[in-house]
Amino acid sequence: MMAFRKSGSLTTKHRGFTREDWELYSLFIPAAVLIIIFSYVPMWGIIIAFQDYIAGNSFFQLSSAKWVGFKHFRNFVNSMYFSRTLINTIRLSVMHLLFGFTTPIFFALLLNEVRTLRYKKFVQTASYLPYFISTVVAAGMVLSFLEVNGLINNLLGLLGLQPREYIASPSAYPWIYTATNVWKGFGFNSILYFSTISGIDPNLYESARIDGANRWQQILHITVPSILYIIAVQLVMQMGHILNTNTDLALLLYRSATYSTSDVIGTYVYRVGIHGGKYSYTAAVGLFQSVIAFTLTFITNKISNKLTGYGLW
Amino acid sequence: MTKDSPAVTNKKNRIREGSRAADAVIYLIAALAAFLCLYPLYYVFVLSLSEPMVAATMRVYWWPKGFYTGGYSRILTDSRLWISYRNTIFYAIVQALGMLFTCCTFAYPLSVKGLKGRKFVNIFLLTPMYISGGTIPRFLLILQTGLYNTMWALILPGIYSVWYIILVRSYFGTIPESLREAARIDGASHYQTLWNVYIPTSKPILAVIALYTIVGVWNSWFRPALYLTSQNLQPLQLYLRRILVENSINLSEEMASDELVAAAMAQRVSNNQLKYTVIIVSSLPMLIAYPFFQQYFVKGVMLGSLKE
Repeated sequence: MMAFRKSGSLTTKHRGFTREDWELYSLFIPAAVLIIIFSYVPMWGIIIAFQDYIAGNSFFQLSSAKWVGFKHFRNFVNSMYFSRTLINTIRLSVMHLLFGFTTPIFFALLLNEVRTLRYKKFVQTASYLPYFISTVVAAGMVLSFLEVNGLINNLLGLLGLQPREYIASPSAYPWIYTATNVWKGFGFNSILYFSTISGIDPNLYESARIDGANRWQQILHITVPSILYIIAVQLVMQMGHILNTNTDLALLLYRSATYSTSDVIGTYVYRVGIHGGKYSYTAAVGLFQSVIAFTLTFITNKISNKLTGYGLW
Repeated sequence: MTKDSPAVTNKKNRIREGSRAADAVIYLIAALAAFLCLYPLYYVFVLSLSEPMVAATMRVYWWPKGFYTGGYSRILTDSRLWISYRNTIFYAIVQALGMLFTCCTFAYPLSVKGLKGRKFVNIFLLTPMYISGGTIPRFLLILQTGLYNTMWALILPGIYSVWYIILVRSYFGTIPESLREAARIDGASHYQTLWNVYIPTSKPILAVIALYTIVGVWNSWFRPALYLTSQNLQPLQLYLRRILVENSINLSEEMASDELVAAAMAQRVSNNQLKYTVIIVSSLPMLIAYPFFQQYFVKGVMLGSLKE
């Protein structure tokens, strides 16, 4: 279908490469150069996962590269870090699905039942605020509030609990991390559901009311079914990200005392790769993560296409 | 997916009945949600103005105890705060402009009907959405290209986004072809058509992309931490990280050596309070601005949810 252009634009009158063609194609150059350098070259750079990469070498110096096959992958899978980071990553992802994914939905359903428009707008705007607080500030607040003589321990003290250093507690860490994530995102993530709900035809509610449906039945039989498909698509997309945690936040909140529950693939790659300088090894760990993520996305996308008729491709 | 006009929403709300008790519970939970979102930052504000000793033990909840502005005067006179502030503003402006430039230039030819090689360009564009090199190869690339510890390490990878290009391309696709034809017949080049016809017509989507980019730059700390070691180049978030997370505050190093232990303790207490002060000082611009541009974010979320 690319042999001849359809008629309609002025440039199609010439068969050769005209000045207008040059104008048109030259517009690709700025972004294309950046995409090649910063997206495609790193893809090529994945080959270091199969080498013993020497720091300072170029990705393209293949003659001096020492190829080691799957050595780094085997090392990772056989190390204690494999099960630890994998389990921690999946634990945090599942907790995110249980709380981070559901809270925006419930929040949107709840707020839709608020009838005073100004009050509704106020709560909505307030709920977006944490999204505009930077990750560093959010983490800083969490760390301060959780200090032994901090806000949280003071409040728990009123209930008679002894002060504890929760941030150093491996059992508390997943909850702290999840709560911070939910707090930062629930309002903003509910926008999608708000907008979908506001697009529902008001006549549906009217006729339901005439049929004698009470408020709860209206929610259950009109509002929920109307957003169900958005929920399904979002859920499928989340499944593809099950090995991706919020490394930006984790790196700020975790510490060696909580590694047993807080060390995820993202933080491990950062610590051992960037700080430890084991580039080839961590490139292999990163590739392992990407391949699984890609496979999961692929499978869930297939399922989504089957169930909802919508998918990423 | 249009938003309801207030009249329609009111009507919808009016026709739905429920018990008073249910209403009360719903309003209460909504109030609680709003409280949980607003109070932590308000609390930080209260601490930032309280006496340092009170702030240290956090025995204050609703109103500052005492009135202490020492934290603010110390933080506002720290030149490193202003350098990092300036850097963040610089990166935000440059990256937003760069992002708009690469998005518009790349999306425009794709909107021309019957472009030769469109299929190839689309594959070229979409592949990075599904395959990425990962943190380590990206980091090594920055080292190999000599961009490490220069502002370009942040700017160059940050001024393109495949996703935003796709959004602009879809938007350009909705502009009637006849507009381009008319401009071309009047003798406008493609560059002129893009600049004089397409960009002015696409202001809504461009505003969305600019704002998302600015908030992204404002928030990001991970990439700057990877690529920039010089404090003169680092953005605000890294300055904040040093104070809030790494606890390394040394605004007055020159004093520390000849101070007594008690004085050092007092210093430590008031240093701790600096955290709250710096949170307020650094978050204020965004907090004032976001209610005004939240509509663009709502629009962005809706655009993002649209499938090709």
